Amino acid sequence: MNALVLPVVLPLLTAFLLQPAGRLSAALARWAGPAVLLVCAGLLVQIALLTGGEPVTAAIGGFAPPVGIVFYADALALLMAIAVPVSALLLWPRAEAGEAGVRQSALMLLLVGSGTGMALSGDLFNLYVFYELLTVASFGLASATGTGRAYVATVRYVLVSGFGSLIALAGIALLYAQTGSLNLAQLADLAPERLANPLGLAAFACLLIGFGVKAELFPVNNWVPDLYACAGKPISALLAGVVSKLAVLVLLRLTVLVFDSPEAREMLMVLGLAGLVTGELAAWRARDLPRLLAYSSIGQLGLLFVALSLPGPAGLAAALAVALHHLLVKPALFMLAERWHGSLDKLAGAGRASPLAAGLFTLFALSLVGVPPLPGFWAKLLVLLELARGAGPFDLTALALVLAVTVVEAHYLFRLVGILYSPGEFRDRHSPRALAVAGLGGAVLVAAMLTLPAVSDALAGLASQAADTAAYRTLTLGGGL
Amino acid sequence: MNVASLLVELVLMPLVAFVVGLAMVLMMRRIAARLQRRVGPPFFQPLFDIVKLYGKHTQTSHGLVHDLGIVMAVGGYIAAETMLPVPGMTGIADKGGLVVLAYVMMVPSLGLALGVGQCANPNGSIGISRALTAMLAYDVPFIIVIFGVAFHFGSSNLITIAAAQQAAGIAGWGVSQMPLLALAGLFALHGMLGKQPFEIYVAPAEIATGPMVEMSGKHMGGLFVMQCFQLYTAAVLYVTLFLGGGENWLSFLAKSFAVLAVPVSLAYLFPRYRTEDLVRLMWKWPTMIGLLGLAFLMH
Amino acid sequence: MTPLDTLYLASAATLAAMLVLGDWRRAGVLATLMYGVQLALLFTMQRTGSTSFDLSALGFELSWRFDALSWFFAVVTLGTAFFASWYGAGEWLRAYTGRRRLFQSALAANVFAMLLLLGSGDLLTLFVGWEATSWAGFLLMALAGGLARDAALRYLVYAMAGAMALLGALVVLFQAGGSFSYEAARATLAAMAPGPLWALIILFGLGFGAKLALLPLHLWQAAAYSETPAPGSVFLGGVVGRMGLFALALVLVGLIGIPHLQALAVPFTFLTAQDVVAWVAALTVVLPTYTALKQNDARYLLAWHGIGQGGYMLLGLIVGSALGSAGGLLHVINYAATQATLLMVVFGVRHRVGHTDLNRLGGLVARMPLSFLALLLGIISLAGLPPMSGFVSKWMVYSSLIQDGRPFLFLAAIVGTLGTILSVYKLIHNLFLGQLRAEHEQLNEAPLSMLIPMLATATLAFVTGVAPGLVLGWVADAQAAIGLPVIDYTLGGIASPRASLDMLWVVGVMFAGFGVGALLFYGAGGKTHRVHQLDNYAGGHFLDAGMRYHYSDNFYAGLMHLIGGWYRGSFHWLEGAIGSGLSLVAQGAGGWYRAINPAFYLLAASVALIAWVAL
Repeated sequence: MNALVLPVVLPLLTAFLLQPAGRLSAALARWAGPAVLLVCAGLLVQIALLTGGEPVTAAIGGFAPPVGIVFYADALALLMAIAVPVSALLLWPRAEAGEAGVRQSALMLLLVGSGTGMALSGDLFNLYVFYELLTVASFGLASATGTGRAYVATVRYVLVSGFGSLIALAGIALLYAQTGSLNLAQLADLAPERLANPLGLAAFACLLIGFGVKAELFPVNNWVPDLYACAGKPISALLAGVVSKLAVLVLLRLTVLVFDSPEAREMLMVLGLAGLVTGELAAWRARDLPRLLAYSSIGQLGLLFVALSLPGPAGLAAALAVALHHLLVKPALFMLAERWHGSLDKLAGAGRASPLAAGLFTLFALSLVGVPPLPGFWAKLLVLLELARGAGPFDLTALALVLAVTVVEAHYLFRLVGILYSPGEFRDRHSPRALAVAGLGGAVLVAAMLTLPAVSDALAGLASQAADTAAYRTLTLGGGL
Repeated sequence: MNVASLLVELVLMPLVAFVVGLAMVLMMRRIAARLQRRVGPPFFQPLFDIVKLYGKHTQTSHGLVHDLGIVMAVGGYIAAETMLPVPGMTGIADKGGLVVLAYVMMVPSLGLALGVGQCANPNGSIGISRALTAMLAYDVPFIIVIFGVAFHFGSSNLITIAAAQQAAGIAGWGVSQMPLLALAGLFALHGMLGKQPFEIYVAPAEIATGPMVEMSGKHMGGLFVMQCFQLYTAAVLYVTLFLGGGENWLSFLAKSFAVLAVPVSLAYLFPRYRTEDLVRLMWKWPTMIGLLGLAFLMH
Repeated sequence: MTPLDTLYLASAATLAAMLVLGDWRRAGVLATLMYGVQLALLFTMQRTGSTSFDLSALGFELSWRFDALSWFFAVVTLGTAFFASWYGAGEWLRAYTGRRRLFQSALAANVFAMLLLLGSGDLLTLFVGWEATSWAGFLLMALAGGLARDAALRYLVYAMAGAMALLGALVVLFQAGGSFSYEAARATLAAMAPGPLWALIILFGLGFGAKLALLPLHLWQAAAYSETPAPGSVFLGGVVGRMGLFALALVLVGLIGIPHLQALAVPFTFLTAQDVVAWVAALTVVLPTYTALKQNDARYLLAWHGIGQGGYMLLGLIVGSALGSAGGLLHVINYAATQATLLMVVFGVRHRVGHTDLNRLGGLVARMPLSFLALLLGIISLAGLPPMSGFVSKWMVYSSLIQDGRPFLFLAAIVGTLGTILSVYKLIHNLFLGQLRAEHEQLNEAPLSMLIPMLATATLAFVTGVAPGLVLGWVADAQAAIGLPVIDYTLGGIASPRASLDMLWVVGVMFAGFGVGALLFYGAGGKTHRVHQLDNYAGGHFLDAGMRYHYSDNFYAGLMHLIGGWYRGSFHWLEGAIGSGLSLVAQGAGGWYRAINPAFYLLAASVALIAWVAL
């Protein structure tokens, strides 16, 4: 099914052609990007409908793996792949006239193309290449606001990303040295004999750190707060929302297929917990909304890593629930932060000025804290149940930390809700688009709550499919369709 | 027991209590006089006092609550007397018990406190503040004693308690079985009566700073009646708990007067404790003795 | 449709009506009527049980049903809501300056959430209901803004900490037993080793104790309850904290069971789990009561007593005998009527005067005699003196402690009562007795819409005091529902050879005594004449209206001289220390993210290391 390649290739191609096209017609340059994204999203949806969620593969150029490059699209990959153009469409940067606008559009397309590629790719090196492309695109987007602070934040981001990439590359080299392959399916085949040793673990650590940069993993996430605070809010939303989840998807594939060892899981859990605790505590002390959201995002992704470290389809389902919830809520919150910047205390009165925005914020806050029956609660409950199932001292510590940190989270979020609703002078209103995006997020959240049984079934299906390594291997190595 | 005889008892018991209480007031004054080498009042003086106070020409009232406070003070004790078994009469002692009695005995104090509060005189309120503090002080050993007795006899029913003691003879009396608790009880009783050295809240010598500051005429007379009941109740309760209760009126009255004579005689030998010293004393010695007694009792 | 479905529907309809019509002038009346309908529906329901709907989510079953315990707490809930709403339906609402729709909806949401909680048919449903109640409570507490917002936020921290402890207990229990159902939990808990069982008891205790404001989780309650608008405060103070007791009864007594608690020893001591819970309850009685003694705001004073009274309920319940647990449960309903009365009076004063500062009031009995009467009945009941209902339930708790041979718990219970007497006298004295201030000369009695409910609840507290048998049947059924021994009762109280009580006679004799007292006072002697309040002994000074002749501040100076030093504020210190500690750690965490260098060095070192390995 070579149609799978199109959603990757089309945006990339358009991105390169946009610059010349911009010379021809401003309208073309302006509308080509969104149009292509629509096409991509449509294509992906069509593929999803055609396959009905059954996994398919596509060998690029007809070379069968492990020699050739392969795309693998199960329901999870397709879902993420669809999320990329859809998020990009919703968070498309405001049209700027001339060069800058075209450049931004091109970067967005680049980001979408590489992001879709990351979601679909079944080859580690390919993943790395897409990841680098995506990183480069995000540098440009993050600094697009043009302020000095944004540049400084981006430079930090570039530095951390650069070193992260190097480490990831080193990890890939190690893997290759050990196994002689970078195809995920083949790696999965070879892992038990070749990678069940310290070198294999070292390779995992390198990959974890490398891909962890985008996934806001603990030691390599301190570019996050400044960047999210200074970049345009749609870009922050995009990075915190879908881009971080793509990196998580890579790590998910790696842990499920290749590094399914307790040590690797422990490493993931420790780093996740560190991120969770530091992120939420830093958010507790944050003094402005974008930073608060950035820190909270670090915390949430920490929780996600904790969930990811849990074995079995149930653990995977918990991780997916947390990931999808965050994918939905965080961009919406960043869009609300568009106008709610500056000191938190100055936001008093915002609830009066824009009741809808404040209401949505409260809804998201409730869901983030995990108040039943909102989806955030069920996601958290799944994680907690899996932690309790482990019942080792390690799991129970994690359980206690997750619970304790939730209290902190509730405090800072509702301190802010309290400020929003107290009388004050704040009068800024949101742009209709920001409200629409946030409102859409809220609507989906409520819809998910109302159709909880169906959603939970779908989630369990996704998880069991993603956890089915045997299917991945036979399908990929058995050749493309 | 049929209702008619019960009703008779309910009428008789407070009456007896009042008469005995008058005699107890007389005894108290006589003892004080002897200790101070005076002659003391004549036999009917307590009664004369009440009549005099009721008959005064100038009767000032600070309002309805002021009056009702006195009504509550007297009425509460009248009710309490019917729960206190005496020889031949048990009233409603089987329908309440020790704990109920202890709490009914607080109702008159509350009434007095309300009445004093209504008078709008800070000196009176200060007196109540001190009185309630004193209550907090002496009730701690008192309830330890109540617990010990109820636990020892396996019941909080005063009739059962008295009957158990009478059946076992002097060796079975509370005072023989639980001497430490009996001692603590005597302390608490002394505090409850508000006699020297624990009379700071009544402050009889400097009436301007006590609860009585705005009390005169009938109000004062009511309080005098209340005092009769108070002396009677405290003494009889102690007799019932520790001295075998009343087998017959003679021994019963003898025991009651004897019990009362102890604190009353001691009273005039001491100066006065300040409020906080009173609390400290009550929470230290009688409480410790009581707890010790309890420890012996329960192990 | 089952009766319970109908009840839920009515409750949801009330919420919906308030969301739509909350701003309407007569919304309060409508809400009161709808609470009345709910109450009526509850009374038509079978007391021993009714089922409602089930849901299924993520493979978990959520089910709602009522048993006698739920029914009992639901009566208290709806009764309190009814009177609180009535209280706020008339003049209070007209004078209310806040957002009416929000307020009415919050109250209705609280009732609905509490009914859902009471109906929970398994542990997961219990958690859902618990969270719903917590957040509805937060809404009600926070909506007044200002001080209320801060207090509500503090509440939220405690409530969330409790909820998370509860959630932790639930997931552990689920993994041990494979199900959230009560039956599975009961079986699992029965077979559980002491270590994990202790952990679960502590977690459940923290979870439910936070709402009941057990020590040391009590600091939030007074301010959060006091700063809420009047009917909300009445509702919160009367019943909301009792949800913690409901849940503790359900889990500690119903699932774990008193015998199991008695068998569970604290390592290296002679104490059992039952003793520990009982002592927590006893300390909750004593310490907050004496904190109440020091309050100078009537609302805070009552709220602090509310915390202490919760301790009595748990104390009685955990004793576990028929008498004790009946006393503990009975105190829930008695206390609700009592506290509702008291708060209604205090907020009535606030409505007229504008504040409830105990140092700036006095003598109001002359202006607000009916409020005084209600408050008098209320404080007698709160202090636990006959003839009010508060006495009956406390007497049952005391008697059970005597029968069980627990002298120190008994002492603690009575010391708490004595403190309450001191404190409520200060309340009534500083509000209603003493000198009437010149600026209050023209005050009116509280409006009728506020007077009727407060007198009604006072009457309830009186009637159930005279004839406790009227409600002891409900208590007995509730006891049976959680496997406790069932109380043997009569209309007038308890008839048992070890401790009997017949309030019909006790109260009858008391009133006969008062009658005789009145006869003696009014019938004999000279005629009294009323004098002006300034016609007073003043040591030779001339009193005028401008002179403050009222003793109110530091009312128990003598006592405080002795025990004042014992108020160490240890719990505040603990709370502050935890907050500061967390703040310190958070500062560290924030520092990590502000400084780019550590990660940079780390990465550089890793790269160097890899390069070294590779070469």
